Amino acid sequence: MNNRLKLLVMFAVIMLLQNCTSDDREIVIDNPPAAGNYANGIFVLNEGGYTYSNASVSFIDAYGQVYNNVFFAVNGRGLGDVAQSMSFYEDKAYLLVNNSNTIEVVNRYTFEYITTIENNILNPRYMTFVGDKGYITNWGDPADTTDDYVAVLDTQTNTIVNTISVAEGPESILNNNGTLYVAHKGGLGYGNTISVLDAAIETVTTSIEVSDVPGNMVMHNNSLYVICAGKGNYTGDETLAGFFKINMATNQVEDEIVFANGVHPGYLEISNNSLYYTLNADVYTMALNDFTLPTSPLFTTTNENLGVLYGFKIINENIYIADAKDYVSNGEVLVYNLQGDYQEGFNVKIIPNGFYNNN
Amino acid sequence: MKNIIGLVLFFCCCCCATFAQVAPVTELGEVNLKHIKLKDSVYTTTQTVLKDSILIRNQASLTSLLNFNSTIYLKENGLGMVSSPSFRGTTAQQTAVLWNGININSQTTGQSDFNTINTRGFDEVIVKPGGGGVVDGSNAIGGSIYLENNITYNTGFENEVFLKYGSFNTFGVDCKTAYSTTTKSFSLGVSRMGSDNDYKYLGTDRINKNGQFNSTNINSNFGFKLGEKNTINLYSNIYDGKRNFSLPTPNALKTKYYDFNTRNMLEWILKTNALVSNLKAAYITENYEYYPNIDRDYNTNGEVGSLFLKYNLDYRLGSLLFSGGVNYNQNNGEGSNIEHEIRHLGSVIFGMKQKVSKRFLYEINVRQELNNAYENPFLYSVGIQADITSFYKLKVNTSKNFRIPTYNDLYWEGVGNSDLKPELSYQAEISNVFYLPNASLTVTGFYNAVQDLLLWTPDVTGVWRPGNTENVNIYGGEALFKANKKIGEQTVNVSATYAYTVSENEKTNKQLIYVPYHKLTTSVGYNYKKLSTYYQFINTGEVFTTTDNALEHIVNSYMVANIGMEYNFGKGESRYLLGAQVLNVWNESYESVLNRPAAGRNFNIYLNLNI
Repeated sequence: MNNRLKLLVMFAVIMLLQNCTSDDREIVIDNPPAAGNYANGIFVLNEGGYTYSNASVSFIDAYGQVYNNVFFAVNGRGLGDVAQSMSFYEDKAYLLVNNSNTIEVVNRYTFEYITTIENNILNPRYMTFVGDKGYITNWGDPADTTDDYVAVLDTQTNTIVNTISVAEGPESILNNNGTLYVAHKGGLGYGNTISVLDAAIETVTTSIEVSDVPGNMVMHNNSLYVICAGKGNYTGDETLAGFFKINMATNQVEDEIVFANGVHPGYLEISNNSLYYTLNADVYTMALNDFTLPTSPLFTTTNENLGVLYGFKIINENIYIADAKDYVSNGEVLVYNLQGDYQEGFNVKIIPNGFYNNN
Repeated sequence: MKNIIGLVLFFCCCCCATFAQVAPVTELGEVNLKHIKLKDSVYTTTQTVLKDSILIRNQASLTSLLNFNSTIYLKENGLGMVSSPSFRGTTAQQTAVLWNGININSQTTGQSDFNTINTRGFDEVIVKPGGGGVVDGSNAIGGSIYLENNITYNTGFENEVFLKYGSFNTFGVDCKTAYSTTTKSFSLGVSRMGSDNDYKYLGTDRINKNGQFNSTNINSNFGFKLGEKNTINLYSNIYDGKRNFSLPTPNALKTKYYDFNTRNMLEWILKTNALVSNLKAAYITENYEYYPNIDRDYNTNGEVGSLFLKYNLDYRLGSLLFSGGVNYNQNNGEGSNIEHEIRHLGSVIFGMKQKVSKRFLYEINVRQELNNAYENPFLYSVGIQADITSFYKLKVNTSKNFRIPTYNDLYWEGVGNSDLKPELSYQAEISNVFYLPNASLTVTGFYNAVQDLLLWTPDVTGVWRPGNTENVNIYGGEALFKANKKIGEQTVNVSATYAYTVSENEKTNKQLIYVPYHKLTTSVGYNYKKLSTYYQFINTGEVFTTTDNALEHIVNSYMVANIGMEYNFGKGESRYLLGAQVLNVWNESYESVLNRPAAGRNFNIYLNLNI
């Protein structure tokens, strides 16, 4: 071969080499359920990795079939960056996407996109409804302890019509006949209060002091039960966890349980006149009329090799636990009955954090 | 992707055929005292030197330089944002970056952000794969990157200006002035670069918001020859970088990050016929500030000052070269989440090399760590080099290396873990070097067992804690090819690297996240009289982003190519280069980190004057 030809051959080889790329990533899109919609089942919210914009929604139908990436399948795009929670109002589902600072509104049965709310939304956490208004807790700038608020949404126009300034780190929000209870879990710092808001006049009426880091709240008759994790030892200022029973007529603490030193419970649910809460990888229960701490767990998840317990919900007398694994792999849903017997597991997506019954 | 191996082999054979057989013997350099210690290890391992036109033609960030010219896999959160390497299948903290022999990996994170190093401030960037713990210290598990400033004498007055401007308002201004006599040398370089960095995300209507950055890098070096035997050198480097972090989603809160690093070193070298004595005293500082909201002053920060004292003595006795060294390192750090701590680290090194015959050399180096904070590993590196034939050389090396826990690992408020052990790495490699006329090919196979990997993992309640959690087994192969051919007034240069890397978690047998199985880099240069043109591309295999290796979360493989052309208007020795480049010439839509799209096709022009 003469030199020029050799060079030409080499150049051709180089051009060929550069195109050796493999197949593209494929997001598997499951066919929609046979019924044609996502009714009569449970949505699982997978928050996705922080900054990776891979939040997704899974759906478990009544037959135990899992449909992943529902939002993507229906709307042809991703949900966003860290899906925090979901709330239903009439035929709509509101998906609060924390790090995207958006709320995606979809039809709760078809999951078809309706609109995106992004004005006056900054670090949205949880949402509830009173009449035709939605109330959304927002951390604001997470490093600013004074700009936290509850945004008021007009569900007819899907616009934020007011913001109510509250103490730092508003997390769970609960509606009791027009009175809103907001748990200040903390954002940059750690909260220790429950704000009480009058939805009609959109103002904070009072504040109830509880232990540090109030998390889930549940209601029964006229009582509000709040679980406070206390500050963990990693904060360098460990405090005691507490269980609070609050009279919603007087907004006074009626009963209080203090956990032992170094014990930091997680999530709280209510079912069949009993409270269920998590502690590390275990689930405990106590009767409402008893309200004393059980000495041993109802069950432990050890056999299921739980990684991170990241979501907890009781739906139709089944306990759903979200296993976020190591945060960097697809998660799993573990289902137990109310006696604590393991029923089944479902494979879902990155960092499952919540369950929503769509009946 | 499997085809790639076959194609590489084909490619190599093709080149061998191209530069047909007229074999001149390539002499093995003598083991002598001219080489400083750090470069001696190359006798039984491999290193690649990037300098001169490679530095000019590549982009100024260390990320881009190494991405296009080495087997190292680099992931960056979008152009100019945080960038970290995976060298030979290892984690971001397992590549050591040394500034003139001093380890500058962050004491807080354990890694270097490759987008905070401006290559224009250095004369050479040396890439050395494989364990280098004995010589380079902590973190040299996947390999080491040396940033070198050369102090030259007797060159008179020299000035160099490099100006670059391109898409997205990207600019680079580099000025260097140097003056030297037979006994004194001085140089000062100032580099400034920046970009609006507001490129479009291909295939979407989004642009890269809040991605603007700028940085200033200042280098100055002094050298004094005191008589025949003594030299005093003084090296200084200041890096000041300000970056906004591009938004992961359009409505996200805007954040920014400031880096400020200083490095100063005084070096005294004494050379006689039989010995070289080298004393280094260095003080480096690293300082970062992260602003979670650019509109507010609130920030989290960290600051560490480190003192290094290094003494090394090389002594020649016949065919033997003995080396002994003592290192002392003090770190003094604190931060918004890091408790104030001062730690003292020491080590003792001993080594010997022998050139047994013209064709055979062996070396043994050992290092004992001395500190009171955690376990003190004993490290070693043993290797041989054999010239089997005139065109084939064999190198074998085995070593034990380590990485110490970082300030974050040890002292992070609340979760820092003082019981951590250093990571240990046991590795072995065999390199086959083939010398062909006008070309060389190095084919290396390696194995690396990393134990007690330092990782932050969540506990059952979701709190991240550092621990010695995993063992990783890494093996793979690398091929480095270089060729250079002159035909009349035309010159053709080809250099290519290819790496195949398997890096498996011992427990799960899953590939580590962000480690591609395949990476290929190729650059081809063609020169005719005063006109040069060059083409470079990289072909990076897909990477997993989840530890369960779920296929739906991979980052796709990609091919990115750059093309450039330059003309030298200078006469004789002087160089007046005018050049233009098209980056990502095929407009490939790609990302190296999930949800962090890279820039599409973009352009720049540059002017390089040597006066």
